[in-house]
Parts: sequence; C-alpha cells; structure tokens
Amino acid sequence: MNTGPLLQLDDIRMNFGAIEALRGISFSVGRGEVVALLGDNGAGKSTLVKIISGGLKPSSGAMTFDGREQTFASPAAAKAQGIETVYQDLSLCTNVDVVGNFFMGREIVKKYFGIPVMQEKAMEEVVAKAMANAGTRIPSLRTNVEYLSGGQRQAIELNRFAHWGGKLVLLDEPFAALGVEQTRRGLAMIKQIAAQGIGVIIITHIMAQAFQVADRIVVIRQGLVAGDVAAKKTSPDEVVRMITGESYGGAAQETRPNGP
Amino acid sequence: MTSPRQRAIAEFVLDHLVWFMLAFVLIVFSIFVPNFFQVGIFANIVEQSTFVGVMAIGLAIVIIAGHMDLSVESTAALAAMITGILFCSRGIGIGLTLTPEWLVLPLSLIIALAIGAAIGLLNGFFVIRLKMTAFIVTLASFIWVRGLVVAISGGRSAQDLAPSIRVIGIYQILNVPLIAWIAIACFAVFSFIMTRTPFGRHVTLVGGNSVAAFRAGIKVDRLLFISFILAGAIAGLAGWLLAIRTSGATANLGVGMLFHAFAAVVIGGVSLKGGVGRLPGVYAGVLLLSSINTAINLMGLPAHYTQVIQGMLVLAAVLLDTLKLQIRQRFA
Repeated sequence: MNTGPLLQLDDIRMNFGAIEALRGISFSVGRGEVVALLGDNGAGKSTLVKIISGGLKPSSGAMTFDGREQTFASPAAAKAQGIETVYQDLSLCTNVDVVGNFFMGREIVKKYFGIPVMQEKAMEEVVAKAMANAGTRIPSLRTNVEYLSGGQRQAIELNRFAHWGGKLVLLDEPFAALGVEQTRRGLAMIKQIAAQGIGVIIITHIMAQAFQVADRIVVIRQGLVAGDVAAKKTSPDEVVRMITGESYGGAAQETRPNGP
Repeated sequence: MTSPRQRAIAEFVLDHLVWFMLAFVLIVFSIFVPNFFQVGIFANIVEQSTFVGVMAIGLAIVIIAGHMDLSVESTAALAAMITGILFCSRGIGIGLTLTPEWLVLPLSLIIALAIGAAIGLLNGFFVIRLKMTAFIVTLASFIWVRGLVVAISGGRSAQDLAPSIRVIGIYQILNVPLIAWIAIACFAVFSFIMTRTPFGRHVTLVGGNSVAAFRAGIKVDRLLFISFILAGAIAGLAGWLLAIRTSGATANLGVGMLFHAFAAVVIGGVSLKGGVGRLPGVYAGVLLLSSINTAINLMGLPAHYTQVIQGMLVLAAVLLDTLKLQIRQRFA
C-alpha cells in the first residue's frame, strides 16, 4: 500500500471564461483523515468538490490520488478509483429495501440454466455483517428505505461506500436535513468510516460540526487556500477570521499531522 | 405508536389489497348474482382475462420502470392483423402454408413477437435516445400503429386462421383453454423475472430513482430499451393470442383494451410514479375487472355500464394509492 497522502492537490486552477473560480489550490487528505472544507458562499468549495469527484476538469494543476497522478473524465471514472460524493437523496432508491440498495447494481447471483437468480439470503447476510461492523442498527434490512430516517439513510450510504472499496468520500452539507440526535450519530459515523482508513472531505457551514469531526480544517477564500490547520490547534474564532479574510492560517501548515 | 406486528399486518394488507378486493367481489357476486357460482363462469373469467392480462404485463413493466406505454393495444392489433393476413385463408388472408404444416405455429408466434419488439424498439428510441416524453411518444404510436392496421387491411378482415395455429385456442386443460394458461404462465415467468433476477430489481431501482441507479453503475438506458422492447413483444404475443381466439383479425380488433389493461395495472397496485408494483397483483386486477364484467352480463344490465364502473374503479384505485401512502406514513 502507498504511504503518501491519499489525495494531493497541487496548484489546482479553474477558469470559467474570464472568471477565476480557483486560483491555485494545494492541500492533501491522508488515509483515515477527516478534512473539513470551509469557506463563504462562492469561495470555490463546490467547484473544488466537483473537480475532485470527476464532475469538472481543472484548467490546470495536478491531482495525485493513491500515489498516481489522475485526471477523471467523469464521476464514474472517479468512482471506479474509489472517490465518491455522497449527496443526500441522490444515491438511494427509497422504493427498495436496505439490502437492494446496498447491492444496487452488484447483486449476488447464481445461474440456473444460464438465468441469473438473486441470492437474497446471502445478500442479507453480507449487509447485516457490514452494518454490524459499523455499529449501525437498522430494525429490519427488508424495510424499504422510504420508511427510514435521514440518519439511517446516511448510514446505509456510508456503509455501502466503505463496503465496496471506497477510499475517499466527499460529503456536501451532510447534516443539512437532520435533527440534533441524528447529526450526533452521523458525526460518530463519519469517525467510524475514517477509522477504517477512508479519507473524508466534509463541507459544512456549521463551525461546531467541523470542530467535532474534523482532524484538519481547510478554509477556501476567493479561490485560494486561506487556511490549512489541525483542528486541535485552532479555534472557531480564528477559522471565522480565515473565512472572512482577517487572518491567514497558513503558518499552521507546518504542524499539520500526516494522518494516522 | 403501533407494534411491529400490527405494522407488518397493515403492510401486508396494503400490499395485497387487490387480492382482498377480488376475494370480496367474488364472494359477493357468488351470493347475490344468480348463476354466478359455477365452474364454467370462473373458467370464463379466466379466459376473458387472457388478452388484457398479457398486455398488462408489458404495460406494468414499463410503468414500474418509470415510463408509460400507451401503444400496447395498437401493437397487439398490428401483430394480430399481420398474423391474420399471413395465415388466414379467407377475407384478406393470403393463406400461407408451410411443410410440415405445424411449422406455421412457431413461425406466426415469432413474427408476432418481432412486430411487437420492433414497435417497442421504436418507442424506446424516441423516449431514450431523443429524450421525448414516453406518454406522448407512445400516444403517437397508439394512433399511427392502429392507423397502419386499418391501412394494411383496407378496413376489411381476415378469417379462418390455419387450423394448426388455432389448436391453441381450442385445446383445454381443466375447462380452461390453452391460451388462458399461456397468460397465466406469462404472469408466472415475468413475476419471477421481476422479483428474483437482477433485471427485475434494476427495473424497480430505475423506476424509483434513476439518478441513483445510474450513479451505482446500472446501465439505465439499456435497461429502459429492454423494457420498451419487452412491452412491445408481450403486446405482440397478446395480439397473436387474440388472432387465435377470433380465428382471424379485424381492423378494430382489441379497441378499448388499453384502458382495461391500464385499469388493471393501477388497480393491481402499480404506482404511476414508478418503482412500485407486483405482477401477480396486476393479474388479480385483470381478474377483478373480468369478474365485474361477467357479473354485469349475468345480471342483464346494459353492457355500457361496464365502462362506467371500470372508470370509477380506476379512480378508486388511484385514490387508494394516495390513501395507502397516508396510512403508511401513520404506521411508519
């Protein structure tokens, strides 16, 4: 296994015509590291997320993932390498049960006379095991996802991602629609996913969440990295100053951990 | 709060409501409609359900996949008409024969399936490749395919289908003609495909959330193409059976069947939003409609009332769909 950072961005620039959305972004995400990406509206977070997950091609700059320089032609190409953005309500089919969603497109089949027949029992066992390993409790794996809470849905998405060999997950405002208790569980869930060696980039507006879950905080401001600091070595006030441009947190970069 | 057990029972009843309705209707008719309760009547209900039933399978699959196919009736009529023209000996039939004679049976079936599949492919092309709305595309097909039937027949009919094909309509098992057994077999096979094979699962997933299915690596376009082609081919089969039953074809053969099939699909619990529905339920829906038809006939009411009642049933079914959702939310 490669020992370098999981994802390394080097001087990523993105122009839309004359507009420079990103003006040279460089930072890295380690294996098992949770990075909170913060920044004001229009700072370039969404553009950056799209570039990482293959939705956009950067105008210039290099991206190294898992030890190899990569340019993803599409989200599917990024996904094949183990990078995925989890959008709420875009990755689950609520009309199908938990097992069906977990195995979406990868069903376990056995062929009888050349006809593939799904092995429901085997699939259910796999899901039960994956859920138990992650400490997620769902009353019945045969319940349609539409009857599950937002937190349970997120758990299914993240467990599925981890189970199928995901390496880096991007979460865009993952708790926007969740209550207090569900958010708390969601944050615990993210730590658990990271503990399996998966890199996590979480985009949020809520400072408290960022500090609760992140190992490192990266602030984007006007298309540049305005701060890249270990969460333990900074404070919400300081981060707010980075977001608004009153302070630059780059000095903390030397002290950042290289992942677990 | 309700216990999981109560909830499970409520879910079961809601999911299989059409069967309870069918049982209820059959019991009520058996008690109150004179001469209803006899083997011959029940066999007749099953036989009547053949054509609409077969057609409804394809329609249901496309609706579960999140689309619509209004062309199934006309497609069936075209398949019936071409079967009639090729293998009938009177009217506009050209009386094609083969040696050995029985070969016309598989050949006519293959031709009917191919015609249906071709129209399904065309529908699929417009909907999937050109991104047109399935409702409009298949409405257009509904019109032009019927037009084609009238045009190629010149409004005339074909009679006297080759005896080696008709055998299927005459031969009976347990008082029920072979064509009805074919319909039942189709329901069994496609129910299996929809619930047990990856294809069926993917159709359901795509109907529920095609974006999620696509992101999970399911080839959505390919799957939808297959669904449309299947619906067309199944409609072709329905047309073939219809030609056998009537021993030929007329230009207006099967008119109105679309709405029966549509009603059966909705009553059978298939949601028009896509992603929800079971084929056995659809068959129960077809049987329910046939039972009501038969009862109306037996009571000697003018047949026109059938249509009024069926219209109301469709409304009731859609209303039920909405109510079910509310009941579920209370139990969830």
